[in-house]
Amino acid sequence: MISLVRAELRKYVTTRLSWSMPLAMAVLGGLFAALQGLFLAVIGEFPAPDGSMIVPAELFGEEVVARLVYTGAVQIGYLLALVLGILSMSGEFRHKTITATLLAAPRRGRLIAAKVVSVAVVVALNAVAFTVGSVAGGAITLAIGDLALFPDPAGLLATFARMILVLVLWGLMGFGLGVLITNQVVALFVGVGVTLLVEPLLGLGLTFVEQLADASKFFPSQASMSALDLFAGVDAGAAQTLGAAQDALSWGWATLVLLGYAAVMATLGWVLTARRDVA
Amino acid sequence: MTTPSAPSPSGTGITVRGLTKTFGSFTAVDDLSFEVAPGRVTGFLGPNGAGKTTTLRMLLGLVRPTAGEALIGGRRYADLPAPMSTVGAALEATGFHPGRSGRNHLRVLAASHGIPDRRVDELLDLVGIPAAARKKAGGYSMGMRQRLGLAAALLGDPDVLLLDEPANGLDPEGIRWMRGFMRHLAQEQGKTVLVSSHLLGEVEQTVEDVVIIANGRMARQGTIDELRGEPAVLVRVGDPAALARVLQEAGLEVQPEDGGLRVSGADAARVGEAAHAAGHPVHELRPLRTDLERLFLELTESPEHRNRNLATGTEAA
Ligand SMILES: Nc1ncnc2c1ncn2[C@@H]1O[C@H](COP(=O)(O)OP(=O)(O)OP(=O)(O)O)[C@@H](O)[C@H]1O
Ligand SMILES: [Mg+2]
Repeated sequence: MISLVRAELRKYVTTRLSWSMPLAMAVLGGLFAALQGLFLAVIGEFPAPDGSMIVPAELFGEEVVARLVYTGAVQIGYLLALVLGILSMSGEFRHKTITATLLAAPRRGRLIAAKVVSVAVVVALNAVAFTVGSVAGGAITLAIGDLALFPDPAGLLATFARMILVLVLWGLMGFGLGVLITNQVVALFVGVGVTLLVEPLLGLGLTFVEQLADASKFFPSQASMSALDLFAGVDAGAAQTLGAAQDALSWGWATLVLLGYAAVMATLGWVLTARRDVA
Repeated sequence: MTTPSAPSPSGTGITVRGLTKTFGSFTAVDDLSFEVAPGRVTGFLGPNGAGKTTTLRMLLGLVRPTAGEALIGGRRYADLPAPMSTVGAALEATGFHPGRSGRNHLRVLAASHGIPDRRVDELLDLVGIPAAARKKAGGYSMGMRQRLGLAAALLGDPDVLLLDEPANGLDPEGIRWMRGFMRHLAQEQGKTVLVSSHLLGEVEQTVEDVVIIANGRMARQGTIDELRGEPAVLVRVGDPAALARVLQEAGLEVQPEDGGLRVSGADAARVGEAAHAAGHPVHELRPLRTDLERLFLELTESPEHRNRNLATGTEAA
């Protein structure tokens, strides 16, 4: 089992993806964190619906602003993590390496388990690169805005840990998707399309249905924001001015919801893989 | 203590029993049964679409049989403790990641079985692509892919090799190399080799046993010598009837053929000497070789085996 994980990790480090993906993660993390910082720290104020000016650093405190800035790129981060997860399985079908892989690891349950572990490891490493990039990009803007860079070090570390966890969970959801849909192009299209398009539209649609209005907090993107727990210690009403969902899930529940998605997809994929003919 | 079904102690054999695979309503492999003896080279022959690759994939646990079983050394592939150390397989349509070097492709497989990099380099030397294997596989020629596939099959130093059309895409030099290589594996290393081909002539000099299938069904199996039949010679003289009597008295089996005589169970020297001693000037004397390729075509294209894959095609044409 350990040797199968080692083989999977070796697959990853022997292609271009092993450096291009962390690089993309760090650069995009930095850019989008800096963009968030531009609004929250450099400009540092925006009009509220009632016309008065909101100054985030005063309203929420500098810790919250730092958290928001450093995690400002998280949507890009989890999309890339999703892609990494998808590629792990669908890449094998695309390049027809699945035959060689299954000859080396004919017990498919073990193969899936080894891949789950390797996806978690690979995405975690990429998530570290992403976090480093985000901190670099965010810190520059916080410094320009004359705000504290690390106002609450322990709290920020917890936020980074949660962000890495969220990315790993998205990687596992992507893995499940890649096992379910072996056609790589279709899997990528579905994964990114659902996240960027279907989920927000569905969420919007649900706001018109009274009984289901609450359901959107269980959607992957919304649950991810809850899992980051960005507005800890902030008045809920004030948090909503910055886009926090109404009665969002607690971060623990949100994490479990994401884990649930990943588990359901990976299990479905496993069941399908166990009986699928590879020809 | 040995029962007839016990696996031979001197190697690992293959057992295929009642093996059937249907894709939808199409029966690709139909109640196929055969044995591959340990330590021998067996040709697995059949025209395109006969079901060779499907059978090999079932042996390797890649395709799930609809019925029957396919065992290696008495076990299913997935139940082998270290599969690559028991069975090495080079299948057609095995891919390589275009951005990964051939050497790294092997290193990935090696990692799954705890095989050291040293072994990888050894094999790359053996199949003759040590330098090229450091380049990305995306640019490999067909011949290099075949050699890399073979190296992958040999990685775990297996007892059994399953090779699916290994000569496909090789140039004449490559084909010669491949033949020599298979002989080396079987004769010097005592490996069991099952090699598929759609050309009997291609493996004729390499294999000892043959399994011929057509449309997923068994057409013929046996040793290549059985397939060739008894050696025979054709002799032509002025008075065939007289010579026939002489030869029959000498205990040979004689049949008229093509204006001459077909003599079974004797070589040209013996027939020539007999004719000379009896005073028959010989007009022609030549060994009759069984045309295996023709036999193969007869076997696989007899009415009950006419290629189902082509049937609708010719109608449409
Ligand atoms: N996954 C599949 N789905 C449907 N039909 C299939 C599948 N795999 C194989 N077949 C069909 O089964 C038959 C046997 O195919 P197979 O590849 O085993 O033949 P083969 O003997 O290896 O032929 P070739 O010499 O061309 O390689 C063919 O008619 C093929 O079209
Ligand atoms: Mg084939």
